[in-house]
Amino acid sequence: MRFAVDTGGTFTDLIVEDDDGALRMYKAETTPDDPIRGVLDSVQIAADDRGIDRRALLAKGDLFIHGTTHAINAVITGNTAKTAFLVTKGHGDMLVFREGGRIEPFNFTVPYPDPYVPRWLTYEIPERVLYDGRVMTALDEGAVIEAIGKMKAEGVKAVAVCLLWSIVNPAHELRIGALLEQHMPGVPYTLAHVLNPTIREYRRASAATIDASLKPLMGAYMRTLASRLKEAGFAGRTLVVTSQAGVIDAEHGAEAPIHLLNSGPSMAPVAGRFFARVDEAAENAIVADTGGTTYDVSLVRKGRIPWTRETWLGTPFRSPVTGFPSVDVKSIGAGGGSIASVDRGGMLHVGPKSAGAVPGPVAYGRGGTEPTVTDASLVLGHLDADFFLGGTMKLDVEGARRAIRDRVATPLGLGIEQAADAILKVATENMVQAIMSITVNQGIDPAEAILIGGGGAAGLNSVWIARRLGCKQLVVPEVGAALSAAGALMSDLTAHHTAHFFTTSERFDRTGVNKTLAELEARCRAFITGPGQGSKQSRIEFSVEARYPNQVWEIEVPLRQPRFESDAALGAVLEDFHKAHEDIFAVSDPGSSIEAVSWSARVSCTLRASEDAKLAPSSPKGHTADRRRAFFAETGFVEATVKRFEMMKVDETIAGPALVESAFTTVVLPPGATAIRRASGSLSVDVGS
Amino acid sequence: MATAAKQVAGASGFDGVRLALLSNRFEGICRKMANTLLRTARSGVINIAHDFSCSILTADCDLLAVAESLPIHVLVGPDQMARTMKEFHPVLKRGDAFLHNSPYHGCSHPADHTILVPVIDDEGRHRFTVLAKAHQADCGNSIPTTYNGTARDVYEEGALIFPAVRVQRDYKMNDDIVRMCQMRIRVPEQWWGDFLAMIGSARIGEREILALANEIGWDTLSEFATQWFDYSEARMVEVIKALPKGRVTRTSTHDPIPGTPPGGIPVNATVEIKPEAGIIEVDLRDNIDSQPCGLNMSEACARSAAMIGVYNSIDHRVPKNAGSHRRLKVHLREGCVVGIPKHPTSCSVATTNVADRISNPVQAAMAEIKDGIGLAECGAIFPPSVGVISGVDERYGRRYVNQLLLGSTGGAGAPSCDAWMTICHVGNAGMIRMDSIEIDELRFPMVITARVLQPDSEGAGTFRGALASFVEYGPLGGTMEVAYVSDGSINAAQGTRGGLKGGASNQYKLDRDGGQQPLPATGVIPLNEGERIVAISTGGGGYGPPTLREPERVLADVRSGWVTPERARDVYGVAITPGFEIDQDATNRLRGSMGPSGARSA
Repeated sequence: MRFAVDTGGTFTDLIVEDDDGALRMYKAETTPDDPIRGVLDSVQIAADDRGIDRRALLAKGDLFIHGTTHAINAVITGNTAKTAFLVTKGHGDMLVFREGGRIEPFNFTVPYPDPYVPRWLTYEIPERVLYDGRVMTALDEGAVIEAIGKMKAEGVKAVAVCLLWSIVNPAHELRIGALLEQHMPGVPYTLAHVLNPTIREYRRASAATIDASLKPLMGAYMRTLASRLKEAGFAGRTLVVTSQAGVIDAEHGAEAPIHLLNSGPSMAPVAGRFFARVDEAAENAIVADTGGTTYDVSLVRKGRIPWTRETWLGTPFRSPVTGFPSVDVKSIGAGGGSIASVDRGGMLHVGPKSAGAVPGPVAYGRGGTEPTVTDASLVLGHLDADFFLGGTMKLDVEGARRAIRDRVATPLGLGIEQAADAILKVATENMVQAIMSITVNQGIDPAEAILIGGGGAAGLNSVWIARRLGCKQLVVPEVGAALSAAGALMSDLTAHHTAHFFTTSERFDRTGVNKTLAELEARCRAFITGPGQGSKQSRIEFSVEARYPNQVWEIEVPLRQPRFESDAALGAVLEDFHKAHEDIFAVSDPGSSIEAVSWSARVSCTLRASEDAKLAPSSPKGHTADRRRAFFAETGFVEATVKRFEMMKVDETIAGPALVESAFTTVVLPPGATAIRRASGSLSVDVGS
Repeated sequence: MATAAKQVAGASGFDGVRLALLSNRFEGICRKMANTLLRTARSGVINIAHDFSCSILTADCDLLAVAESLPIHVLVGPDQMARTMKEFHPVLKRGDAFLHNSPYHGCSHPADHTILVPVIDDEGRHRFTVLAKAHQADCGNSIPTTYNGTARDVYEEGALIFPAVRVQRDYKMNDDIVRMCQMRIRVPEQWWGDFLAMIGSARIGEREILALANEIGWDTLSEFATQWFDYSEARMVEVIKALPKGRVTRTSTHDPIPGTPPGGIPVNATVEIKPEAGIIEVDLRDNIDSQPCGLNMSEACARSAAMIGVYNSIDHRVPKNAGSHRRLKVHLREGCVVGIPKHPTSCSVATTNVADRISNPVQAAMAEIKDGIGLAECGAIFPPSVGVISGVDERYGRRYVNQLLLGSTGGAGAPSCDAWMTICHVGNAGMIRMDSIEIDELRFPMVITARVLQPDSEGAGTFRGALASFVEYGPLGGTMEVAYVSDGSINAAQGTRGGLKGGASNQYKLDRDGGQQPLPATGVIPLNEGERIVAISTGGGGYGPPTLREPERVLADVRSGWVTPERARDVYGVAITPGFEIDQDATNRLRGSMGPSGARSA
């Protein structure tokens, strides 16, 4: 038996997989003061559902896979360790400058972001390596020891080291590591070239400082998680979800906690890729995960999940960029809790301000007064006041109507339903714009992709989102409300190794490249025989980051072969590079040479024999209705068909206007949309127009 | 306009839902254009420096929507260029595209090549114009830089000038024009790549607007545009009416370079807020005539620079378009250095140096009229840290020419927070990215030995200006030339409302033995192996008296090594102990003796 738990901002999602492959999904409230309690609560709910003791349930488990926002929360709230930063002399303001850039050019009310490590905990070390690895200035060990003395006096709890060109010649960084071990034993440190061997010093430095600052906290979290699970009866292996859409052993996560920064959201596209394939045989997908306050968009392009080094800790350009490879997820402040308001000029706005979980939408009756997207769906009859979250929370329709009337309908001169519809329309457009910005950057035409609607609130407006994007098909997986947990269950044990080695196609250094690839492969083989031992199967994928001369940004191109045995192999890479450039940027320059900057190998070990992700059949609890009055802009109020999601048979179809409901979600099918239940359990919607 | 103002007070007469949806759709189209241009361009000035803009205009040539970009590019200029296009080509057809870079017809300066595409409906009616504008790596100047500061006129400047020249008809290229450019513009394949990227961007904008009209209808789009302008104007009126009446004149002077008067170019800007009329006026007419150098303003830059000073000063949430622009009156004079240039006056450097000397006094004057609005002055450019390097790369036996973007800070102190450090210059607003040390050293035979902030170079204030940057670099394995035009070594960025001025720029050469050789404010400097150039950029001005700065903020700057304890004491009146604690009693005494108006050492 396997457990996959994703701790989100509001809910902790659990999916339990029985040995026969059947899945069951549960939700518990997230407990920010002690997130592990929320994890154990979710297991308790699962145990109660089966009528057995929690200990007995956990004892059956062999794998516990955990996605957590603990790392990113610690970074956002400044709850990380006191960290020092050692850098090449003459570059002490590296974390202050970052890479430049700004948003909102006329907004001078936003302060310049503080460096991730304060300047007074940054120590410049006399040393300098050149671009080709030659040492221009030898390492001043005395200066390192002096810095260590100051760090001790300051009470520093973690250290990051980033020297210029350590990716080419790491001797100075390694020596500083040895001096830290010797003179500051027990204080965790991160060497930038080990953690994130990428060119662009700021990105290495940023990753190293974030990683070091998380080591004390995440080390403790992982140890506590393991011991509390053990105490509670679990005797299996504990894995954590990484930002790169893989899983690693919890103790490895503690060693390089930057891997856990985007733990959770990175899993949605893993699940999305699976459902796109099994339900629609599609290789391109837009994967949306709708929460209460954030809307996360990720992609699947030709069966691969695009990644980026440009993941921001907060608002883009107002926070550090991690510089660490991570699944490309675009996040905006939009969701069921987004607040609708009308400005003094008479224009409607929805979000980014959110009512959050507390007080939440007006309809929750917890003191919220500002109308939200959820309130709009309720007023339109799309949500059932008596069957929200399976009837566990009764919604206040009158409160929602009043709020929308007073704050939106009256100022706009609209009826209440028209105002609610307008709120959904504006929210939809905000989400569409977020999707378009990531699809344009990654070179995906939405009309050629399907939309995967994940998250509990996805069903409320995803048909309209798909229509606006020109996507013909929307898939709402049955496990969509816990899409990241489902993805965690499906994901492989992975490691990603990168090496900097610069060469050009004009003067291709085949020997040097092959040596680099051999080293990468050896590290992957060690992973397969180490953590990957006993896995069902394993594979290694090689890729190169390359660019045209004069370009400054590289793109990743998979290699067809693990080595360059002949010049023909180089020709294949050139061909693939031009093709990839064409795919992403719509142009290519087939006559041009290319420059290769770095080489990567990703090793994946499959842990799971079956690929399926179907919920076990269950008998619906709570009331079921056949019809409900619901409002649509095209028709006004109509009697919409109401169906229970889990009651629909495979291949059963339903035509809008209709509402498909479960205890976790509601899928709104406006007039013109038709849906079919797939064998995987998904609801596949032909969105119509 | 009066009706629009009334609508703000009561329930709006606008369709508030359509405003929300369509403004977002048009901005989305601009973003898509911008992303396309950014991702497909070949030159670093576009894909690193982000020196480009994309916008949409109505059939009447009113600015409707803009992708977030450097302000000096877009506020005024696109409208005038579209008007030129209509005037010179009365019959516009679907499939047309125009190349425009004439500063005498609405372009900012000749390096900003612009592609205009008229969006034509199925009946052949001109409905909108989409515009993609990008600073070129080269524009055919007589010297290898796009900023020809000392050119006496457009002939000496040397750029090819295109006053709305048709480059495509029926979507087919006019190869004559392409070949002309290829014969005159350096690194022609790079120009060609950027040219195609701009055409591609404009065509995407065209395609998206046609699709939007297909979905929504042309007439609805036109109605929306009218309402969007009225809504934006009403927002602007609301903001201006809340300001006090006032009139302030400030002067900001560009340092002298060859071709300017010996004292440089002083710019007098008079700002008048008329709340009762809901109007802000900027008068630039009381200034000297055009000069025999490349620093003259184009009309587009003179107007945009004045507007930047105002928009930087007020509620940033007011949309910027032809509607809000109705409430800004900028008075210019023909033949004036900061006015409307007459051909063949050179406007080669119109987007940066003197333009900054317009925006800066305007925003500082706004602050003088009312506490809590406006900004101090931003620092000036171009120090050698953002200069152009050239030489031969011995590793590959090939020549290189490239503008460095290693660091220019210069942000101004603001009413409620410290400066944005990396603003570059006021017209850029910090939109520029910065070079990676390692990427530059990999691409060019050079070593960059320092890039840090320069202590005690901030314009002190209640909210301080940015510190200057200190950058040191030189050639590796060969020689190198460094070209730059550095303003701000004599006339530093001024503070406002009692804030102090920022540090002045400076540059010098470091010999092999470490000796310092002073360098002029503008030059082309040869460097031999082992020699280095040091560039100190300008700091930004401070806002409000330094003696009102929160002592904790002063302490943080001292701990960071950005402000020395001596300066903390003398300028901010804050006593800091060697253990980095605030000595509250000594601070009270110091501040008491200095009075509220500021420092002793101003």
